[in-house]
Amino acid sequence: MNVVIASSSIDGGIGCWDLQTGAEQLRYKTCVSPPHGLASIGCRFLACSQLRDPSATSGHVLYWSWSKPQALVKSFPAEPIKPLAANTEGSYIVGGGSSGDIYFWEVATGRLLKKWHAHYRAVTCLVFSEDDSLLISGSEDGCVRVWSLFMIFDDVRQQQASHLYEYSFTEHTLRVTDIVMGYGGGNAVIVSASEDRTCKVWSLSRGRLLRNVLFPSIIDAITIDPGEHVFYAGSRDGKIYIAALNAESSPTNNYGLHIIGSLTDQSKPVTCLAYSAEGNLLLSGSEDGMIRVWDVKTKNIIRMFRRSKGPVNNILIVKLPYSLSRAESKVQASSRRHEISLQPPLEKYANSSDEDLDNKAIITLPDMIDLPSYLSSQLINDHIKQLQQQGSSAAAEMEVKRLKHDGQRSMEMFQQLKKVYDNLQEFCVNELLNGQPMEGSKGN
Amino acid sequence: MYDVGLKPPMLRNLIRQHLPSGNHPLNLNASCFELPKLVSILQTHRLLSESDSHSVDPKLINAWKSAVDDWLSCLLSLLSSDMSDKCWVGICLLGVTCQECSNQRFLTSYSVWLDKLLSHIQPPSDSQLVKIASCTSLSDLLTRLARFPEVKKDANSLAGKLIQPVLKLLNEDKVEAVWEGAASLLYALITLFPASIHHSYDKVEAAIASKILSGIYSDITLKKIGYCLALLPKSKGDKDSWSLMMQKFLISINDHLNEAFQGVEEEAKSNEARRLLVTPGKDLPPPLGGHTSLEGGSFNGTSSERLPTATISTLIFCCCKMLTSSYPVQVTAPVRSILALVERLLRVDGSLPHTMLPFMTSVQQELICSELPVLHACSLELLIAIIKGMRRQLLPHSAYIVRVITRYFKRCALPELRIKLYSIVRMLLLSMGVGMAIYLAPDVIDNAFNDLNSLGGEDFEISPANTGPALPQPSNRKRKHGTKTGSLEENQVGAHPKVGESNTHQMTPITVKIAALDSLELLLTVGAASKSDSWRSSIDNLVIRTAINSCKRGWGNVENNVFLPHESASAWADFQLSSLRTLLASFLAPARVRPPHLSQGLELFRRGKQEAGTKLAQFCGYALFALEVLIHPRALPLDDFYSADGVSNRFSENTYTDSQKQNTLFFSVAQTTEQGAIKSHDDLYNKWLQNEVENENIADENMKDKTSRPNDSSLGNVLEVSEQEPAAADADVHMRNEDEIVVQPRRIEEPIPKSQEIVSANAVTSPPAVGTNLEGGEIESQTALSACDRLNDTDHDMLSGVDKVDFNTIGGKTSSTLPNAEKGSSSMAHLESESSMDSFPDIVDADPDTDTDCESI
Repeated sequence: MNVVIASSSIDGGIGCWDLQTGAEQLRYKTCVSPPHGLASIGCRFLACSQLRDPSATSGHVLYWSWSKPQALVKSFPAEPIKPLAANTEGSYIVGGGSSGDIYFWEVATGRLLKKWHAHYRAVTCLVFSEDDSLLISGSEDGCVRVWSLFMIFDDVRQQQASHLYEYSFTEHTLRVTDIVMGYGGGNAVIVSASEDRTCKVWSLSRGRLLRNVLFPSIIDAITIDPGEHVFYAGSRDGKIYIAALNAESSPTNNYGLHIIGSLTDQSKPVTCLAYSAEGNLLLSGSEDGMIRVWDVKTKNIIRMFRRSKGPVNNILIVKLPYSLSRAESKVQASSRRHEISLQPPLEKYANSSDEDLDNKAIITLPDMIDLPSYLSSQLINDHIKQLQQQGSSAAAEMEVKRLKHDGQRSMEMFQQLKKVYDNLQEFCVNELLNGQPMEGSKGN
Repeated sequence: MYDVGLKPPMLRNLIRQHLPSGNHPLNLNASCFELPKLVSILQTHRLLSESDSHSVDPKLINAWKSAVDDWLSCLLSLLSSDMSDKCWVGICLLGVTCQECSNQRFLTSYSVWLDKLLSHIQPPSDSQLVKIASCTSLSDLLTRLARFPEVKKDANSLAGKLIQPVLKLLNEDKVEAVWEGAASLLYALITLFPASIHHSYDKVEAAIASKILSGIYSDITLKKIGYCLALLPKSKGDKDSWSLMMQKFLISINDHLNEAFQGVEEEAKSNEARRLLVTPGKDLPPPLGGHTSLEGGSFNGTSSERLPTATISTLIFCCCKMLTSSYPVQVTAPVRSILALVERLLRVDGSLPHTMLPFMTSVQQELICSELPVLHACSLELLIAIIKGMRRQLLPHSAYIVRVITRYFKRCALPELRIKLYSIVRMLLLSMGVGMAIYLAPDVIDNAFNDLNSLGGEDFEISPANTGPALPQPSNRKRKHGTKTGSLEENQVGAHPKVGESNTHQMTPITVKIAALDSLELLLTVGAASKSDSWRSSIDNLVIRTAINSCKRGWGNVENNVFLPHESASAWADFQLSSLRTLLASFLAPARVRPPHLSQGLELFRRGKQEAGTKLAQFCGYALFALEVLIHPRALPLDDFYSADGVSNRFSENTYTDSQKQNTLFFSVAQTTEQGAIKSHDDLYNKWLQNEVENENIADENMKDKTSRPNDSSLGNVLEVSEQEPAAADADVHMRNEDEIVVQPRRIEEPIPKSQEIVSANAVTSPPAVGTNLEGGEIESQTALSACDRLNDTDHDMLSGVDKVDFNTIGGKTSSTLPNAEKGSSSMAHLESESSMDSFPDIVDADPDTDTDCESI
């Protein structure tokens, strides 16, 4: 079941709707999210960074399980965290701090594995690459940086390298508002949006700018067409612009170079976008609290979800785990592996005193089904083979030879014995014959 | 054959013919050896199933039922016979019956069967075959039983009854084969009825551990019982027992290694390993199976003659199985100590540290060296297991692993170990993705270069060009950074003098080459896009050379040769397949220029495709198919993306009809301009090729053609542009010439015919409708513009910088900031200096439009 999840910067909880039917699901309570602060952790549970007061010096991160409206786990990072992202497996969470640091936590233990200074100003968005091996971060200083996680964890290489990042894109002049990454591993494109009213397309393989698109208004949200024909840019003037990636763009259009068209509903500023590959739907969240579902083929709105109050600033499309999407009756069956309450909160500092934990990792072993199969018929074959080997023809031949030899020897023995017997008999007969007369003679 | 009615008589017939009746003595030859046939008849015709989906005739069912009754009574009488051979037949067939009989029959009689079988593994029975067969039949019975959740409770208690006899077999029997049987039964018990073992957990552990620690049994037996031991924690199913068992294994391995490596390893190492295993301040866990491993084992007194290799490798095998089998809850794996163990094992290579020299006899050293390959193989297995088990969570440790691997790669020379190493490299590349590939690439390439370039296996026909790069070249890495064409020539020139001395030491077995190729293939697919400039061209050369060499002798055939053992016959075919697969990867991997060996490669694939019926032909067919996209690239829009342009209906009912209308309209347009559509495709094709054509005079030619075209309403625009362009093009070409002397000559011959094509295509496409199609369906778009487009497409790269300037002008209009403009110009300079072809033509392609556009506006 695909659900749409949306949160807001004003406390109204996290809304959750079934994308197909439009039915509203559970509403998760008490959430005040900054943009990009909502993340689904490996589809197992929800996490959202919280920022009630923008000027506060601390914030916190909340976890919700799918089945309960109350937040279950509350963590207090060292500084306010705005953007939050998790890898697909849900084993790591990264958060971007307002000081420009990036925090890297392990979900299973809650340990802060790494923290590094990534930007000069606050981090605004974080994106994992398709294969989870790269992390892309955007910042308030307009910088977009690409990090290889492998490098982040390799202390030896770090000392040799002059910088930690793989690429640093500095062409944006103002705050980076959103980043998306396309398909294709190392050859993918990255699209970033900024408050300088441009979206820039970067090549990951070459680490340079490919295209610069200037929009009539500031773009706060972008999402990419899975075929990478175009990308969609939600702007503060309420329009969703369609800009060309692979598409041909004609020079005579109303909005500017590379902008092919727009989706418009006379709404308030568009704050977030999401693309559902299933049915090619584009979801847009707006400051008026509505979530519009567009059919990108026809450019029509096919459904609207309304949050109770406040602007929407995060939308996620999440595929709920199978066990959850079925009737809730089987909760206890699914609870074992996805038990949220077991998740420890995220740690504040990296200097964990327990060195033992450093050497260990909590892992979920691969779920391979390995059941015994029926063996009897195989066993029969094996045993028969063994038996046959004992009585195989080659062996039998040798046996026959041995027996023949034995027979021969017995024959000889027999002959010998017979001879002895004959001799004995002859002797006896002679004795008898000789003795008789003697006796007879005696008798005589 | 399919008549259900025949089945009961068939069964009776089988009973009569094959089963020994009660009073006759069993004739082994006559009845035993036909058992497999009997079983296969039973199974193919499902004679014991007692049901058939097609027939519900009660008479038939009764007849069948009574036949099966007879069969069973016959079996049971065999089971209770005193003759062990008859007994054996009965037991085996009962096992088959457990698998084959109907659910109902199984449920009514399984407990009887279980008792009967159980009696045969208990003391009075003597024949080992009978014992083994009963164990197997019991495990089949349990396997079937586990499918009925409704009798779970009963089944658990029955299973509990089996534990003691099994333990007895393990402890008291002297024959290895019986242990194997017992192990298979134990395995079934642990996996299917874990609860039943719970009470005898320690006893089972002790029984198995004593066998493993004694280390004197055959490998297979040890593996089987070791597997049971590894699965044993499942019977408790909690986090702690898993960790405890793992820790016991590791400590035991560690102790054995300390013993074995005395003298070849410095003392500090073993202490360090120990420290990682047991946290200081915590208690040592009880030793494995309650034995203090070194005292209880039998090897202690004999350690000078024999290493406990069997024990160590079995224990490592157990660890592997623990890491890769499923477990009901999350567990805490001691990653660091496992990795330390791996590193420790791999570090020992049998050479003596200087301090140790006086204490080792050469006999001991030889002994260790003879056993080391096995131990190294085991430790690599353990590494594989931990990568599999940890998956993404390996990240914090990945750097360490890579360091261990690369260090070991440099020294490792044994083929089997190298193959394993390559497979680890592949696992890492695949699971860690691009981020890993960037850093792992140099090592993979170095090793693959050495392995593929050395003489090996069967590609032994020495032609100078072939053996040229064959000798191991320490200078490989440097050369890779040199000029691209240079390396090829150098290889071939340097070849001749050394042809004669192909000594056998440098032969790389073909299996290692296959592994090296597979790793290269994966490296190309994962990491070719990122930071690959330094190695890409040399790898492409290596790959095409290997592929050509592998195919030079004709195609390997798997089936033909019945005399060779199967592996060596198929190795050559596998090698060819691997080399072609890698070749395909090197073509498809992202690059900035056309793959230099494309035509040769296509030729190879075409030839390979003709070998009908082989795997290779199948692959070549696929390769040709995949390359088609490379040659005709396409970036497809979403289906009828623009058809509903301008329709602003809000809800789907309306949308449906409307979009349909639009559809039909669109199609009719499409049909009338079908001719044009094809041409426009050609146009795309030309565009791609022009990426490689950065030639002044082509640009000029195009200008002329286009400017002189009739009906061109935007002639003014074009002229305007054409004035600008030559200058820009000039500059551009100059820069290119400096940077790319190497590639230039090859290209020169291509442009001219192409440019004519372009012209002709343009000529045809100039009618109105066609242009619209190309422009992505904007039906009202202008022909004039499309003409401009094409003109500018020819030298888009040159203009990619202009794009930025362009923004400045727009930026000026829309009151954008000055910094923006500065950035634009600097980045323009940056782009221009980078003299690479664009592999992203479509994006940059469109840039020139803006140029004209803005000018015209």
